[in-house]
Amino acid sequence: MIKNISGNEAVAIAAVNAGAAVITGYPGTPSSETVGSLWGKNIEGVHVEWSTNEKVALEIAAAASWANKRALCTMKMSGLNVAYDSLVSIAYSGCTGALVVYVCDDPGVSAGMPEQDIRGFAKMTDMPVIDVASVDESYWLTKYAFELSERIQSPVILRSVTSVALSHSTVDIPDMMPPAQAEPHVYKDIEKFTKAGAKICMDQHKRLIESLEIARQYMREDVINQLCIAKDTSLGIIVSGVCASYLDEGMELARKHADFHAVSSLVVRSTVPLPTDEIREMIENCDTIVVVEENEPYVEHGVMLEAFKLGKKIRVIGKEDGTLSRIGNFDAMSIAVAVLTALDCEIPSEFTERLGAESLCTKRPIGVCAGCPHRGVFMSINEALRRMGIKKDEAIVTGDIGCTILGMSPPFNTLWTEVSMGASSPMAQGFIHAGIKTPVISTIGDSTFLHGGIPGVINAVQNNVDMLTIIMDNGWTCMTGMQVNAGTSKEYQAKEFHNRVDIAKIVPALGVEHFAVHDPYDLEGMTALIGDMLKLSGVKVILARRECAIQAARRKVKYGIMSVDQDKCTKCKLCIMKTGCPGLVYDGSNVHIDKKLCNGCGICKSLCKFNALVKEEI
Amino acid sequence: MSLSIYLTGVGGQGVLTIAELIMNAAMRRGLYCNFYPTKGMAQRGGFVKAQLRIGDDAMAPEIHKGGADIVIAMELSESLRALDYLKPDGDIVIYPYRWLPTDVMLGKADYPDEASVMEVAKKRTEHVTMLDMTLLPEGCADNIFLLSAALKYTALSELFSSDELASEIKTRFPKGIESNMLSFEAGMRS
Repeated sequence: MIKNISGNEAVAIAAVNAGAAVITGYPGTPSSETVGSLWGKNIEGVHVEWSTNEKVALEIAAAASWANKRALCTMKMSGLNVAYDSLVSIAYSGCTGALVVYVCDDPGVSAGMPEQDIRGFAKMTDMPVIDVASVDESYWLTKYAFELSERIQSPVILRSVTSVALSHSTVDIPDMMPPAQAEPHVYKDIEKFTKAGAKICMDQHKRLIESLEIARQYMREDVINQLCIAKDTSLGIIVSGVCASYLDEGMELARKHADFHAVSSLVVRSTVPLPTDEIREMIENCDTIVVVEENEPYVEHGVMLEAFKLGKKIRVIGKEDGTLSRIGNFDAMSIAVAVLTALDCEIPSEFTERLGAESLCTKRPIGVCAGCPHRGVFMSINEALRRMGIKKDEAIVTGDIGCTILGMSPPFNTLWTEVSMGASSPMAQGFIHAGIKTPVISTIGDSTFLHGGIPGVINAVQNNVDMLTIIMDNGWTCMTGMQVNAGTSKEYQAKEFHNRVDIAKIVPALGVEHFAVHDPYDLEGMTALIGDMLKLSGVKVILARRECAIQAARRKVKYGIMSVDQDKCTKCKLCIMKTGCPGLVYDGSNVHIDKKLCNGCGICKSLCKFNALVKEEI
Repeated sequence: MSLSIYLTGVGGQGVLTIAELIMNAAMRRGLYCNFYPTKGMAQRGGFVKAQLRIGDDAMAPEIHKGGADIVIAMELSESLRALDYLKPDGDIVIYPYRWLPTDVMLGKADYPDEASVMEVAKKRTEHVTMLDMTLLPEGCADNIFLLSAALKYTALSELFSSDELASEIKTRFPKGIESNMLSFEAGMRS
């Protein structure tokens, strides 16, 4: 069936068609649409969930694969860092059904966070990695990954990158058709499923290493990696992941600038374990080998190692010789540059010349949306500190992952740290223990708090740290595309059986004595509350609660109708300067409200000393 | 046959919709499409780009520098981001809407004028079209206007007829047919 779908959706359909009974994940761009496209649907025999965090998601999927079922777990690369503790142990144990872990890397950083290459994690745990090159492969290789996992009785990582995961592409793949599920079957085997003792651990390690070798053999038999040896050439090119999709285009581009014979090629889809037989065959036939892969030169290192083992001196063009970069994403030109370098041709000036037009382009700092409740929190923090006579530079406000981090942007410039999910509170404690005397405030979103923020607050309570934490609860996991989390209102949970976990009940249970819930749209009240809290000793937590403006706008929610009384407006533009709200527009002569954007939150109203901003209650 | 189209604009303008309409028309033709949208972290007001590649066979997501046949830019300043991707003799059509960041509104940052954008674009290609936004009837969709202008001024016309794209718009937006057709016709007359 011809359809146009994204790489993420292709993985979802393939997993269902492969018979996955449990599909879990935590939102993270660019991987979110896999669970997202299945969320809330009724698929016979398949449990789909947004889990509390990636570690929880993986453990749930793993246990299903220990009950002889097939399971999929999805996350972005940073999520694998969270899940890795369990993944190592699970890899040692293996599985009895099948476990596929779908992880998206982000070379070129279009989704935020480091350019980490998760193949490094896989190498460390001897887990197979299947690298997809296209949306089409996202379907077929997902299905293959399940088969491989079941055959080798070990988890398999399916790796994609942003440009494949988020691409919508024309593919000919079957519709979603969940097969009938067999009854679960559990083998209770201490030797396999515990780590009790050196012998058990080392036996498991031995099995794991052997399973990788078995995987290599299977993938050779199944021709997962494609080798094509050309005659009359000593040049070969190895491509992996999305770079394989640029091969023909890149060669065509190179041929515009150099005349050369067909070259030998190897498309590597299993980057762990590498197809060493195929690589050796290429080395035997070539004197120069070009390796094009995004991120780290893992395939390239593998080629060098095989050449060393064969005792053949070859020239390898890739990252180690500086031709290609470990930074950024690749395209057809990357292939052309590497091939032309291998041919000792000069790189054409048109490859490198730039107009410099981008430097004229206006900068667009990422900011909070019109009506965003976070605006009220950042402005209240700034104002509360000002009223205490503390300069912004003197106070420390830590940030966390998600929309919370937008408080770093102008006009707020409130916070300046972003580490990992839940790090805001421990970082704040570290600053305090380092001797910072001015107030230290940590800020965190609702989903981030539930994901990894709770241990930090527990730690602060135990150590009785003088710290204020503001949990910015807008009811959704927003930065990744408005997913449901455990704190989301029950009416928006997908199914009747879902419960809502109320953060307002969690915080007091952690032993936090000073706790208040407040609406961030009430700027004056929130400012006063922060000021009062900062005077108290010990751990203080404010739950700033108001639904995400984008999600509310989707249900046509408006809190009032704002307008500017032009007779009263002095054009001081303080409202724009302090809020940075896209709903406020200065056209060169007057300040206006953008009626399409403004949801009537009224934050700007309280700033105007001339009462020029008028809110009509509705 | 293949066509690489690079689109830029600002979140909330409807740039991605332009790409989706072209993609749907191409699919109806039985052509292969790869549509790769990139959105910034801002819901609105952030940089948005889309790379659309259409052809007889599968195509990879990223367009390399100097590899785009067509640039469709929906915001004046953001058009500058796309120029290096355009082929030296490629077509660029710019809808010179100015979506001003706060700092520009407050006079704290610069914003390029049409003449300077035109000057740098002309260094890349002779085929620059700067649209007259006043031709768009009031209250009508500017992205539809830009799409039909792109059909008129770029190699998009080698692939699609105006009837094909108009029918794609009608299918996608069954509720606003009259207004969208006004936009579409205005673009054709631009």
